[in-house]
Amino acid sequence: MAILSIIALGVGFFSGVRITTPAMVHTVNAFWQEKQLYDYRLISTLGWDSDNVQAFRNMPDVRYAEGSNSIDLLALNHENVEIVLKAYTLPENINQLRLTEGRMPQSGNECLMDASRPCGLAVGDIIRISEDNEEDTLDTLNYTELKIVGMADSSLYVNFERGTTSIGNGSVEAFVYLLPDALDRDFYSEIYIRFDHDSVIYSKEYKDAMEQRSGSWEELTQQKADLRYQRITDDARSELQDGKDELEDKRAEGQQELDDAEKELADGKKELDDAEKELDNGRKELDNAEKELTDAKKQIEDNEKKLDDARKELDNARQQLDDSELQLNDARQQLDDSELQLNDARQQLDDSEQQLNQAKQQLDDSKIQLDSAGQQIADGERQLNDGQTQINSAFAELRKNEEILIFSENELNTQEQALNAQLSQIPWEYLTPQQQAQFTYAREQISQGRAQIEAGKQQISSAYQELNIQQEILNQKHTELEAAKAEYEAGKIQYEAGLAQYENSLAQFQEGKAQYEDGLKQFEEGQAQYEDGLKQFLDGKVQYENGVKELEDGRQKLADGRKEYEDGLLKLEDARKKYEDGVRKWQDGKKEYENGLHEYEDGKKEFAEKIADAEAEIADAEQEIADIDQPDTYVLDRNTNISYACFESDSQIVEQVARVFPIFFILVAAMVCITTMNRMVEEQRTQIGTLKALGYSESDIMGKFAFYCGTAAVIGCVLGYAIGTVLFPSVIWMSYELMYIEIPLTYIFDWKLSSLSLLASLLCSIGTTWIACHVELAETAAGLMRPKAPKAGKRVFLEYFPFLWNRLKFLYKVSIRNMFRYKGRFFMMVLGVGGCTALLLTGFGLKDTVAGFADVQYNDIVTADAEASFKTDIGETIPEELENSLNSLTEEYMLLNLSSWDILYGDNKVKALNMIIPVSDGDFSSYMHLHTTDGEPLSLPGTDEILVSNSVMERFGAELGKTITLRNEDMEELHVKVTGVFENHVYNYIILSQDTLQKQLGRIPTCNGAYMNFPEETDEYQISAELSKNEHITTVSLFSEMQERMAKTMGSLDYIVLLVIVCAAGLAFIVLYNLTNINITERIREIATIKVLGFFKNETSAYVLRENIALTAVGIIVGLGLGILLHSFVISQIIVDLVSFKTRILPMSFVYSILLTFLFNIAVNAFMGIKLEKINMAESLKSIE
Amino acid sequence: MSIFVEFKNVNKIYKTGELEIQALHDVNFEIEKGEFCVIVGASGAGKTTILNILGGMDTLSGGEVWLDGTEISSYSKKQLTAYRRYDVGFVFQFYNLVQNLTAKENVELAAQICRNPLDAETVLKQVGLAERMKNFPAQLSGGEQQRVAIARALAKNPKILLCDEPTGALDYQTGKAVLKLLQDTCRKNKMTVIVITHNSALTAMADRIITVKSGTIESMRQNSHVVDIADIEW
Repeated sequence: MAILSIIALGVGFFSGVRITTPAMVHTVNAFWQEKQLYDYRLISTLGWDSDNVQAFRNMPDVRYAEGSNSIDLLALNHENVEIVLKAYTLPENINQLRLTEGRMPQSGNECLMDASRPCGLAVGDIIRISEDNEEDTLDTLNYTELKIVGMADSSLYVNFERGTTSIGNGSVEAFVYLLPDALDRDFYSEIYIRFDHDSVIYSKEYKDAMEQRSGSWEELTQQKADLRYQRITDDARSELQDGKDELEDKRAEGQQELDDAEKELADGKKELDDAEKELDNGRKELDNAEKELTDAKKQIEDNEKKLDDARKELDNARQQLDDSELQLNDARQQLDDSELQLNDARQQLDDSEQQLNQAKQQLDDSKIQLDSAGQQIADGERQLNDGQTQINSAFAELRKNEEILIFSENELNTQEQALNAQLSQIPWEYLTPQQQAQFTYAREQISQGRAQIEAGKQQISSAYQELNIQQEILNQKHTELEAAKAEYEAGKIQYEAGLAQYENSLAQFQEGKAQYEDGLKQFEEGQAQYEDGLKQFLDGKVQYENGVKELEDGRQKLADGRKEYEDGLLKLEDARKKYEDGVRKWQDGKKEYENGLHEYEDGKKEFAEKIADAEAEIADAEQEIADIDQPDTYVLDRNTNISYACFESDSQIVEQVARVFPIFFILVAAMVCITTMNRMVEEQRTQIGTLKALGYSESDIMGKFAFYCGTAAVIGCVLGYAIGTVLFPSVIWMSYELMYIEIPLTYIFDWKLSSLSLLASLLCSIGTTWIACHVELAETAAGLMRPKAPKAGKRVFLEYFPFLWNRLKFLYKVSIRNMFRYKGRFFMMVLGVGGCTALLLTGFGLKDTVAGFADVQYNDIVTADAEASFKTDIGETIPEELENSLNSLTEEYMLLNLSSWDILYGDNKVKALNMIIPVSDGDFSSYMHLHTTDGEPLSLPGTDEILVSNSVMERFGAELGKTITLRNEDMEELHVKVTGVFENHVYNYIILSQDTLQKQLGRIPTCNGAYMNFPEETDEYQISAELSKNEHITTVSLFSEMQERMAKTMGSLDYIVLLVIVCAAGLAFIVLYNLTNINITERIREIATIKVLGFFKNETSAYVLRENIALTAVGIIVGLGLGILLHSFVISQIIVDLVSFKTRILPMSFVYSILLTFLFNIAVNAFMGIKLEKINMAESLKSIE
Repeated sequence: MSIFVEFKNVNKIYKTGELEIQALHDVNFEIEKGEFCVIVGASGAGKTTILNILGGMDTLSGGEVWLDGTEISSYSKKQLTAYRRYDVGFVFQFYNLVQNLTAKENVELAAQICRNPLDAETVLKQVGLAERMKNFPAQLSGGEQQRVAIARALAKNPKILLCDEPTGALDYQTGKAVLKLLQDTCRKNKMTVIVITHNSALTAMADRIITVKSGTIESMRQNSHVVDIADIEW
């Protein structure tokens, strides 16, 4: 029984888990096969036409080729909520639909709705196309309302991911299917190709086949697209040419018309101009004539006036002439009188002149006498002064000499005194003769000097005498001079009085003379005046007479002129009349001309405009043609379909888990088999002995056991396989159906797997049987007949530590001994229980990890609330408007440059990584908490440095200190050194500094995104919606939403975890029950004994089961360790791109695992307690049997 | 001497499916305190059933069993266990020692659950195993093992000592020694000892001899000429 159940469990788990992935793949494969999922999706930037489709269809190897159209659109559901839909045209053969409700559309305004994501819509509802759609989209759609006539699943979307779009909030809500005539399109947006094969999805066969095709198909697709390009551009060009020709014709025609008109106008213009000129001339002539007439009139008038003036003048002149004659006669009389008076005065003047000249002579004589006397006086004075001066200087010299004499005398006296003093000191006799001579000489000299001085004194006194005499003479002379001087002064005064008298008389004479000359002059002037007057008078008389004659002539002329003038006036009137007629005619002509001109201008303008329009049109068309780029084509295989790719990785997860667990179960199953068979063989020992004694061969005996065991194994295997392969895939598929559309799971029977399971179980059972029997059969028949000696009691190592051992309660000692007594069982128990715990822990840990990595990512690592991405055209700084919006709506934000770079690793392998470059200053750690997996914080990288996430390090070899090469789509390369590895679980992030980019590539990164933190206690959704309205922001993604989404995606593992827990429970039960059972059976006598000894029920149970509990505890401890290892192994096996799990087991999971294991244990124990109760002491003790 | 053990019309019927086997039929006997009683009879006569009922290991189908003034036949399962625990000592044919415990520990196993147990070592010395106290059962001979079993029973200081073929698995001499020990115990400790045997030769050493045959008491007599075990030969 134990064998059966453990084999069933082992096989069930093994085969169930193993079959799950193939079953899932098979199921989905069948669905896709039936619906003819595409192999290639061909996209050309120019779209495709039906020729293309036909061309592809004609390719060998192609089963179907189908053109299809799809368009992303915004629509309103019945609640007027805007949803993003992806509309497809209904397929014919490829990517067929599965109608779940309603019918297929029959007219353009009918559609099929996404059955998995109906957006609250049902059959019969109306989808309205939103006005917010782009112009293009609205143009393309023929209807503004679509009626849902059915619900369908699409083979393109087996899971619930609907992909992304460039409109709305960026993600597609649901798909709809339309008839082709719902769209106004003359091309296909894509062509689906289905090759002629039925290969299983994801199979190597399929992948290889596709691999082979890829190159040639890429070429082919490009070729076809080029053909379409050729067609389009050719058509467009020829159309353009027609347009151009037409334009040219029209232009020529119009130009001709215009030219004619212009010529006509020009003629008219000339005529007009001539007329004008003529008119002008006429006008001028008229004016001249008029002026002439006016002048003439004026002249006449002037002349009349002049004649009158002349008359008057002449009369005046007559009067004057008469006056002048009278005056002239008076003047003659006066002049004659004056002449007489003047002659008298002349006589008197001549007399006075003679007298004056005599007086003058006398005066000059006395003057000469006076001057010579003055001279003499001055000479005498000078001589006197000189003499005085000489005397004075002679006196001064004398006094000087006198002083010198006195001085010399004094000196002599001193010398003499000195000599005498010398002599008085020394008596003469003592003097040397020389000295005596000297003294004598000196004395002589002194006496000589005295004599001289005396002579000088005498001389001086005589000189004094002489001088005094001279002084006397001088004084006498001086007195004489004074007398002469007085005489001179008197003579001088007399002279001056005479001079004054003379000058007076002279003045009187000159005055008289002047008076005479004035009179003379006056007379002469009068004489001249008179003669002038006379002459004038005579002239005037002649003039007057001329004037009178002229006046008469003038009068005659005037009368002639007046007559002439009046004739002219008449003529002028006629001319004027003629002129005015001419002007009127001209004006009419001009008006006519102007109208014509206007018409012409308008026509010309119109022509120019029309031509310009046409030209612009042609230019536009030309530009359009030029703008038609050479088409880019894309050959997209199934891997680009989200469902296809997702399903592969999702189903792989199960497969990877499947690799680990079954081995474990098989191992446990083998061990259970061994113990069970051991026990059985031992129990049947006597029987074996008897049989052997009776002569049965070993193989016969063994066969008996093998048969028993094998039967159990086969039954268990079949049972396990049947249950496992049905249960596991369905449970797991059920969990997957949360994410995938409902496709009934197909049960697959895998011969290989089933035979493998059978083989394994048989090997387990029969192998163990053989081992067990072999040991027993080695004994002789006689030995076998005897009961096997009970296994000897043994001391356990613990007893060698008396201080510990003696402290233990007696019954515990027993338990401990028992535990170690059967080592095999001990290990099996530990392994079984440990395995159970490990499985539980792994199961819970798996859940923790999967559910938790998103928590860790978005709670512990990315602490920002949201990420915004900006329109690409924003440069290094953000527009003010955006800045304001960010400032007002967010608590804080940091501008970033987010880009994708490929890391080069291994053999030319590349992998796209998400690079973050912080652009604005600020604390990056408030948005993303960078720390190592050990929890040590990391700072931002410096120049030429880079931080990588742990997944990048693990998967792409970007180890610490290594220099890695990054490349972007423009083939720019960065070489940076890894200076830190930070913990991160979602996406492959790398963090670079702005400086590195600037240094290595010479450009400053633009800011195209931002991390933001919102204020506390605000509605994140509201803020993000508010932000999204900003025209510079393309998307705002909330991290909390991402976290939720991610956790949801991974929620499918819950069922798997549940399955693991159930299996763990089963394992625990089987192992515990089996072992306890064996234990009890084996020790039944012992148990009976202690029962007899009076152990109470619970004491007995405790005695036996304490071991179980202790072993369970040990098993749990081992199991926890094992579980942690197993868990991390399983996690390491589950590799999901863009996600790196954080191996994490929450403390609660440990608690749960332990509690559950104990729970299983207690359940088994309770069950065993009943069994213990049933042991019949008497029977058990009676004998060996 | 007062009556210590009394069986009154005890019946025991085993039911195995449809089949009913009357193991005991109106068994009546009494034993006085301090007596050495031998119950003798052929195999299958029902002696072990009597012993099991008296030892509280089995229930009876009818009648009453009294011990020291209390009716054990009316005991509940739990009371029976307590009764076994405090009042009865068992010695089995196949010793039934716990293999995983030493001689001393086997004694202690029983002793530690009693109210006033005797010291294990003292008891072992009494039975002559002072030297082998620390040996495991597998290291002891059959006689020694039986002596350990007796010591285990004695250590509980029971009111009554029940021995089921204590010498059945032992050789003659050893059996004799064991019986001697039992007899001595009875005499020295004034213990009531009941020995089951199919060997009627042993009746000579008993104070009271009960003969069982086909589930009934054939005879019960008191032996006034008790012979020392050493003098009995069979």
